[in-house]
Amino acid sequence: MRIDWAALGVVTVVSIMASVVFTILLAAGIRLVSAAKIKSNEGGSGTATVSLGYALLGIAGLLVLFGLYLIVPQFH
Amino acid sequence: MTELFVVITVIVVALIFDFTNGFHDSANAMAGPIATGALRPRVAVILAAVLNLVGACLSTAVAKTISGGFFDDALITAPIILAGLLGAIIWNLVTWLVGLPSSSSHALFGGLIGAVIVGAGLSSVHGWVIVSKVLLPAIVAPLVAGIAAAWCTRLAYRITRKTPSVHSNTGFKYGQAFTASMVALAHGTSDGQKTMGVITLVLIAANLQPSGTGPQLWVIITAGVAIGLGTYSGGWRIMRTMGKGIVEIETPQGAASGAATSATILASAHVGFGLSTTHVSTGSILGSGVGRDGAEVRWSVARRMMFAWLLTLPGAGLVGGLAALLSDRGVGGVVTLIVMLAVACSVIYLFSRRHQINHKNVTDSHEVLVLASATPTAYADDPRLEAPAKPKKVKRPKAKSAA
Repeated sequence: MRIDWAALGVVTVVSIMASVVFTILLAAGIRLVSAAKIKSNEGGSGTATVSLGYALLGIAGLLVLFGLYLIVPQFH
Repeated sequence: MTELFVVITVIVVALIFDFTNGFHDSANAMAGPIATGALRPRVAVILAAVLNLVGACLSTAVAKTISGGFFDDALITAPIILAGLLGAIIWNLVTWLVGLPSSSSHALFGGLIGAVIVGAGLSSVHGWVIVSKVLLPAIVAPLVAGIAAAWCTRLAYRITRKTPSVHSNTGFKYGQAFTASMVALAHGTSDGQKTMGVITLVLIAANLQPSGTGPQLWVIITAGVAIGLGTYSGGWRIMRTMGKGIVEIETPQGAASGAATSATILASAHVGFGLSTTHVSTGSILGSGVGRDGAEVRWSVARRMMFAWLLTLPGAGLVGGLAALLSDRGVGGVVTLIVMLAVACSVIYLFSRRHQINHKNVTDSHEVLVLASATPTAYADDPRLEAPAKPKKVKRPKAKSAA
């Protein structure tokens, strides 16, 4: 039996971490952008919130681009 | 002459396998977005098909080995490959008919193993490789992806608890569309390459191509188109099981399971512990059901799927083994096999027509019916058994007159 337990462990940890990080970024970004929208509808200013929200969504987008980089063999 | 005939047959059958691979795995990427409405069914399969085609063309490294370490590479001959492909195609079609997702690579390995056993005996197969490459991943993949998806789902709901669902649904749908596209692209690079590898190997073995060279352009393009067409055709029966059958997916769940699927697939592809795309995405959907409070996971469906995964190798192996009895008997044997494949495909297709599932009704129900009589007796008085049949009878003549 030659089972690569180390690779299995790495895959487990990386998969769970990466998906959790992506989900947090996406969900928090959505929440902030939505909160800012509600605030500005009520007459307030949500500039700081909205930019933070889009920043988080942007990082999530970067994660997607990194995934793309991993998929396309010509990039590495 | 005989050899050339066998080579051409293997290429055609390899392309058919590629097609079944596409429609069997269409759901891996697109079941979630279709179930939540993030992408309309037609748009989703077109997107997945294009990405599969692009992915197949991107990755032109020859598959190093199609034996996967299960047996000696030297045992691979054109008749063995032909028998293995037949086993994989039949298994893919049968599991599609009953709407169960199962790994196309496992089916191919199973078919080849069955053919090798018939050709070279049981001792030529490395048993431990089956444990480490088939059994273990089949347990690990859904666990890892499932845990990831369950946590993600919990987090997604907790973080957006106070966000109006109009806002959160739009955001999550975008997230889902992006992650699903990544899964489709990754699928094209891994599975498109498999068929190219098979065809190239056969061409090299027949001295039609110098050894050590990569797939030729026409091989890349036809393999890419075959898997793309397969993906476009949708595999709606499997789509329904994955998008509706396991659990009702809400938008945040869809985004969470999409994230878990793509993260796990990419991690497994780049760290080197190969996991099946099918097992990963099914596990994610299951996990997203566990992670949401009040979601009803249909464990009976999950159990049936698990059985199908365990049976993939022996099932495809059995067909592959039987096919191997004929595949090295020259033109006559090969022609007989092709006729039998055509008959089997037609029969399965005709059965699927009885309870047809397509892009229009894919999300209408969670059940994939084959034969009313073949379903468990507990369902015998279930009104749902009759319901889907009636509108179809009305629809059919309409569709004909429109066409």
